[in-house]
Formats: sequence, C-alpha cells, structure tokens
Amino acid sequence: MKLLKDKVAKLSFVALLATVTASMFYTPTASAHGEKSQAAFMRMRTIHWFDLNWSKDEVAVNDTMTISGKFFVFSGWPETVDKPEVSFLNIGIPGPVFIRAGSWIGGQLVPRSVSLELGETYDFKVLLKARRPGDWHVHTMLNVKGGGPIIGPGKWVTVTGSMSDFVNPITTLTGETIDLEDYNLENTYFWHAFWYALGLAWLVYWMRKPMFIPRSIAVESGKADSLISGTDKKVAMGFAAGTMAIVAIAMGNANEQYPVTTPLQAGLLRGIKSIELPVSTVAVKVEDATYRVPGRAMQMTLTITNNGDSSVRLGEFNTAGVRFMDANVAQDETGYPDDLLAEEGLTVSDNSPLAPGQSRTVQVTASDAAWEVYRLADLIYDPDSRFAGLLFFWDESGKRQMVTVDAPLIPSFI
Amino acid sequence: MSASQSAVRSRAEAVKASRTFDWLICFTLFFVVLGGYHIHYMLTGGDWDFWSDWKDRRLWVTVAPIVSITFPAAVQSMLWWRYRLPFGAVLCVLGLLLGEWVNRYLNFWGWTYFPVNFCFPSNLMPGAIVLDVVLMLTGSMTATAVIGGMAWGLLFYPGNWPIIAPLHVPVEYNGMMMTLADLQGYHYVRTGTPEYIRMVEKGTLRTFGKDVAPVSAFFSAFVSILIYFLWHFFGQWFNKTDFVKAA
Repeated sequence: MKLLKDKVAKLSFVALLATVTASMFYTPTASAHGEKSQAAFMRMRTIHWFDLNWSKDEVAVNDTMTISGKFFVFSGWPETVDKPEVSFLNIGIPGPVFIRAGSWIGGQLVPRSVSLELGETYDFKVLLKARRPGDWHVHTMLNVKGGGPIIGPGKWVTVTGSMSDFVNPITTLTGETIDLEDYNLENTYFWHAFWYALGLAWLVYWMRKPMFIPRSIAVESGKADSLISGTDKKVAMGFAAGTMAIVAIAMGNANEQYPVTTPLQAGLLRGIKSIELPVSTVAVKVEDATYRVPGRAMQMTLTITNNGDSSVRLGEFNTAGVRFMDANVAQDETGYPDDLLAEEGLTVSDNSPLAPGQSRTVQVTASDAAWEVYRLADLIYDPDSRFAGLLFFWDESGKRQMVTVDAPLIPSFI
Repeated sequence: MSASQSAVRSRAEAVKASRTFDWLICFTLFFVVLGGYHIHYMLTGGDWDFWSDWKDRRLWVTVAPIVSITFPAAVQSMLWWRYRLPFGAVLCVLGLLLGEWVNRYLNFWGWTYFPVNFCFPSNLMPGAIVLDVVLMLTGSMTATAVIGGMAWGLLFYPGNWPIIAPLHVPVEYNGMMMTLADLQGYHYVRTGTPEYIRMVEKGTLRTFGKDVAPVSAFFSAFVSILIYFLWHFFGQWFNKTDFVKAA
C-alpha cells in the first residue's frame, strides 16, 4: 500500500512539474487596452475627444505621422477628479516606439504642462516619428495632475523597417548636430567604467589580505591598531586625494568642453488658446436617460429645440470616445477605429428635419456592442451615476453643431 | 569528528578555511547589500536617478546624496568596528551601480527601448571612496559623519557633471529653448511620467549669487551628516549578536 502511495505521489509531482514547465513556454500575446479599465463616469465626463485623425495606418522607421483633432474639457467635470489646471498632452503608446517630435494645443508647442479651462474646446496635434517596428495601439492622452491619465481613442498603427536605422538628429544652439539616440553614450560608459574600476581597485586592495576571521580575532584581542599599517594609510590618502583631484580636473575639462550649458527648463504654460466655437442654436434638454444592466443600449428622452434658421437632424452621439451614428444623417470618413464606431448605432424615434423654431421630444437609443465591450455599462459601479457626451446636429447645408449633454443615468434591471 | 573537536587539523587548513569564508561572506554580502540598497534607493531617489531630465541642480543634488548615504553608513559600521575593514561605502556603491546598470541596460533599454544615454544612473563612487578613507584615517564615527558626510554631499554634483554636462547644451526646438536632456524627456515618451510630475528646479532658496547647485549641495551635505549618524546606529543595531550564545 505504501509503495502504491509513493508511486502516486511521485507521478503527481512529475505531472505538476511537467505542467509548470509547459506553461512557461506558453506566451500568448498581451494586448492590453487600458482605456477600458478607467471608470466609465471618468471617460464620459472629463475630456471629450472628437474630430480625431490618425494620418497613417502604416509608417516606416524615421517617417512621421500625426494625430490631430479636438478635445472638449467638459463643463460638468466630476468632483472626484482634480480640475485640469495642470495637465500634460501625452500620447498613449507602449514606450518610445515612436518619438514625440512635437505636440501642440491651440497652435502652441506644449512640451511642458499646461493649464486648461473647463467648458473650452481646444484643437491639438501630436507629431510622431516612428522608431520601433511592430503593431502599436496609438492613443490620444491627457494627464491631469491629481486626476491621472485620461486616455482617448486608440488606433492600430504598423511601423515597418528596422530600429537600428532610427536616427534623431538635433542641432544645438552651439551649432553642433548630434544624434540624440546615442549622443554622449560613450562618455557616460567611460566615466562609469572609470569610477567603477577605481572603486574595485580600493576593494581589491583590502581583499588581497585575509579579511574576516583573522581581523575579528585581532580586534577582539585588542590589536585593532595593528590592522591598519602606515602603507595602508598612504594608499588611502592617495585614493582620497586622487579622487578629489580627478573630480576637480574632470569638472574643469567638462566646463571647457561645454562652456555653454543651461539648467533644465521647467514651468507651467498658461494662456493656451481655445477654439471659439459658434454659439449653438440647438438647445437640448434631457428628460430622462436609462440603460439596461447588463445591456448594450442606452435610451434617452430629449427635448430638442431648434433656435436657428435651418432645419437640423441629430447625427451623432459621442461619449467616452465611442461614436454612435445615424447613418442616414452622418457617416465617418476619417477612418475612425472600427471598435469605437457604431455606424448605425444611433436610433432616433423621429429624426426628420426639425424646422427652425420647432421643438420636439424624441427617444434616442445609443446601441452597440461597444457599450458593453468598453465597459460603459459599468457606470453602475461608479460613485457618480451621471452620463455625459456630445450630440452633433447637421443642418440642411451640412454645417455641424455640437451640444453637450450631462444628466443622471438610471440603470434598469427589468 | 565531533562538535567539541576543531574542524581543522593544521594551521594551513585553518588559513584556507578562513580564506574560503572570506570569499563566501564577500559574495553573499555583496549581493544582499546590492538587493537591499538598490530597492531602497529606487524607492526614495528613483526617478531622479532613472532619467537625464530629472538630473537638475536642486532636487537631484539634494535628494540623491541624502537617501544614498544610508546603506554605506550602516555597512561601514558593520565592517569597521568588528573587522577594521574600510570598504563599506565602496562595497555598497559597487553593488548598487552593478544592479542599476543591469536594470538600465536589460530592462530600460532591452525591454522598453529607452536609450541608455537617457536612463543612466548617477555616479556615487567619488563620495564613497572619500567616506571610506575618512573612516579609516580617523577611526571615528563622528568625524566620518561630519567630514565624510559633507564630502558625500559636496562631491555628488561635480562627480556627475562630466557625464551630464553634454546634455545641458541648449537647443531651440520649434520656438522654445530646451536642453538636450529636456528634449530627451520630451521625445522618448513615458506615458506614466507626465511633465508636471517632474520634480526639478522647484523651491524657494534659489541662488547664492547666481549659482544654484552649490546651495543645494551644501544643504544636501548637512543633511547627509544627520542621516549618516542615524544609519550608522541602524547598522550597529543590526550587527548585534546578543542572540547568539557564546560557544
């Protein structure tokens, strides 16, 4: 019986080892979409990205592409997130697979943090230069101090070529053109190797002689003074004096070689220009809004009033980067990411042209798998059950107007 | 052989055993110190050490020496009082720099492709050598704390200047002036490090004349003295063998 038990134990152990080893060789591709992990209320009620354009789907190493568009800093910014008084226009990519060659908000270069105002719309552009081959999900992103990263829509971009061909030439104010990719690398390696060797030399000097047990015995028997000889002291003084001399001389040489240096530049950029959008002539009142849990649709009852002089129709509802569109009114021609685009996801109970001066109450349904896939239905778990988004209306001449909505959202379980 | 008999049968064997212990202890001590010191330094002075655009004249010069004198002080107390071995600080820094370079080259560069000229570590060796020598020559913890601690803080920036000076050359970039280090930080995208998080050039007591770095260096030197005292006592406390009964 004992023999059988031992055999079973042995085989089980072998099986366990085999399973663990096999699992170590299984490496599925990890393609995380971090935007879904952010709370739904945050994505809906902070930064609204729209009119986005990724200039290329495929770009070779050293070539550039741009991401441009607009973002609206939502007026109903949630209290749980700090206001964007200190923000930074970043880009959501897995490390420096591109370099950020430039970024602008309102036409101003923004390499530093900026101050943004609630209720304003800004246009932005990010210029990227391809560096590392692969398929990369490239997102717009705004970091907000006290709020964290607010990630926008992402699109797959393929970089072709070889990273060893990447160059990053920069011309300094002293007239020198350098490649920032490997500039100063040899100098860095040299000094670190030099000082490491000097430190090793000090260590080896003491390690040549017996260390622990004999010295411990000597200290305990009161002969500690005999452990440091006159030669040791001279060598030590040589090391110390040599160290200080090398530091002084090297610093002097560096100042001679680089006479023009400036401190790191830091500071907040203010006065960023927003877009002056024309006042909207369409007024929208949210009578109610519900969504079914679990579900893929949200319903809202809207009272729309047309104060303009041309008939309008509702064409798009944009929330958290997901675009629900009425294909009869508007279609995307920018190559917006498929997984965020519900081309026929917007249904309006009566979407006939609303004449000037008229008011109408309609049922609007935003329905698509994206509602569930992008975890917008998880609003039920958020501490502030309100939704927000952008409604886009088109008039007879094709002119577009943007209206923001911000209202409570009630979950329905029946 | 029994527990009451000697494990060695001759003086030659005793010497060989002692020397074997030396290497075993050195090897273990090196890697244990490397691990502990590296984690400590990354958690306290991390970003300032990781990135070239964090190596400014104020916070880097102040923070790095203060948080890095810790383990050298503790290891010095361990190696000096029992063994009169004056290489505690250098041993720590050799371990730290080895760990940092392995991390920067294999992880920062090898895994995430940040260029090494952007994510190289700070050089702590000049201060470490002087700290060890001062302890050896004075045999006094107080003198080492005051003179060695001051030297540790004051030698930090000059010891690193030959490495970072080329990165402080200015450029004009799309209408703004930046240093090459700033440009590295701008170009090589770090999604988790927005610019506002960069703690550089902040503070009020700015200059003495026009130079900022000496003010920071002296402040760092003074605080390094205090930290040295504290961690020297930590080291002595950890070195206690009261729990080991005499044979």
